[in-house]
Amino acid sequence: MSKTDVLIIGGGLIGCATALHLARAGASVRLVEAGDINAGASGQNAGSLHFQMERRFLENGAALADQAARIIALNRLAIDEWRGLEVDLGVDLHVSQKGGLMVAETPEQVALLEAKSRREISGGLATQLLDGDAARALCPALGPDVLAASYLADEGHADPRALTPAFAHAAAEAGAVISTRQHVLSITRRSPGGFDVAAKKGDEMETLQADQIFVAAGAWTPAVCALANLHIPLFPVALLMNATERTGPILPQLIQHVGRRLSMKQAYAGNVIIGGGWPSRLAQRPDGGFDLNARASIIPLSRSGNLRAAIDIVPQIGALNLIRSWTGVTTISADQLPIAGAVSRVPGFYVAAGGSAFTLGPTFARLIARVMGGERVEALDVLSPDRFNHLNSFMG
Amino acid sequence: MRIEQDVTRGAAIEISVDGIALAAFDGETIATAMLSQGMAMFRRDARGRPRGLFCNMGTCGECMVTLTAENRRVRACVTDAQNGMDIATDG
Ligand SMILES: Cc1cc2nc3c(=O)[nH]c(=O)nc-3n(C[C@H](O)[C@H](O)[C@H](O)COP(=O)(O)OP(=O)(O)OC[C@H]3O[C@@H](n4cnc5c(N)ncnc54)[C@H](O)[C@@H]3O)c2cc1C
Ligand code: FES
Repeated sequence: MSKTDVLIIGGGLIGCATALHLARAGASVRLVEAGDINAGASGQNAGSLHFQMERRFLENGAALADQAARIIALNRLAIDEWRGLEVDLGVDLHVSQKGGLMVAETPEQVALLEAKSRREISGGLATQLLDGDAARALCPALGPDVLAASYLADEGHADPRALTPAFAHAAAEAGAVISTRQHVLSITRRSPGGFDVAAKKGDEMETLQADQIFVAAGAWTPAVCALANLHIPLFPVALLMNATERTGPILPQLIQHVGRRLSMKQAYAGNVIIGGGWPSRLAQRPDGGFDLNARASIIPLSRSGNLRAAIDIVPQIGALNLIRSWTGVTTISADQLPIAGAVSRVPGFYVAAGGSAFTLGPTFARLIARVMGGERVEALDVLSPDRFNHLNSFMG
Repeated sequence: MRIEQDVTRGAAIEISVDGIALAAFDGETIATAMLSQGMAMFRRDARGRPRGLFCNMGTCGECMVTLTAENRRVRACVTDAQNGMDIATDG
């Protein structure tokens, strides 16, 4: 039997980074991952570091955009977090923060950019509005259809395949015990406090005792929380990514689109990575519901639509070969904002999932570790799981 | 290196890779022609080290070469060599 201060369920970016911060703070930490470290969304994503307000927050009306504006404070913390990450972890993560351009092609989209950057500037984010020519001066690969762009100097990208393993390695060095291919199968509350967790590795069952539990299981978070008799309104989302062959340097910045689904960057190796929220199809279980353990499948119209958007904005992309498309599964909450913090109806139970947690994951981890250490962290208020407390009022 | 016994080959052809003339046979891929004559490097990585092809079945994209006549990038492992083809690697 293992007995630790904290048990973390899930070895993606959020779990591994939180393990590091808790271990550094002196807690005894056990992390259990059902598959391999970084095998979930954290290793499948686009690697964008985007700090401008996201397109998905702008297309659904003012109320949501208002809430999203409250995320700006977290984005500002994340900018600093990323600037220090390679030094802190002592690893080359191919972090590139050479700026990001969110482009517009129509007058309506330009108006959206203007409204967006007003919100950002009032939130303390130094976005700059550029006309098409000024945007092309910064990024000559942009095509003639770009009418305007909002520019944020801190944006960029990093290597998702490097980040989470680096956190896992540092966490282990700081004393966290990490096990992979071990599934959490049950969670029992002890009285007066703490938890007994049963986890299975191969044919072996292990009981893990911990004072605190942190669920960082990405799209699987609702299933893990159900083991503790809790509803958490997170829904799986399957997305598409594409990579071109390597080419010489053409795109120093992160490129996004305010009115179309598009994110684009050139990775360190020279491949252009193209995504931006185009759907893939989640696998179905024969008995109904989604099968998160099977690969999502590519929707051909998503792929052609994604590549069309990329070529419209950077025409040179049209001359490159597509060498790879893949799908990844992440999760979105009922109100689109991430969920991160203490579940106060179950003392000692914490959760973080949802949202753009490549960009924000390292920051969530740092803040959650402080909350778990007993500190009050105001920046996380807007993300509190307690905003969905009503869903648990019949859960006994 | 080629198997020489009990094989029927297409007509003898010649291609040029990075200015070097390579003998090949109709029906062989560009990659086959290169490898059969010891040309295993398709590019250098960011640290300057030589890289070869990887899957030899069209999925990894590690064997991209340029057909100079059309300035078109193709996968050498799934593209047939044609007589007189002029090819450039990234090496
Ligand atoms: C295609 C795609 C593109 C994206 N692009 C971006 C981007 O550009 N920028 C950005 O900021 N974000 C992006 N995201 C989102 C980002 O990838 C995720 O928000 C982030 O990786 C979530 O990390 P996580 O640690 O919460 O989850 P995950 O990385 O999914 O990790 C959860 C882990 O929990 C484990 N687990 C599940 N159940 C159990 C159990 N019972 N017992 C033990 N372990 C369990 C799983 O095996 C998994 O490894 C993208 C996502 C996708 C899919
Ligand atoms: S070697 Fe993999 S595509 Fe040619």
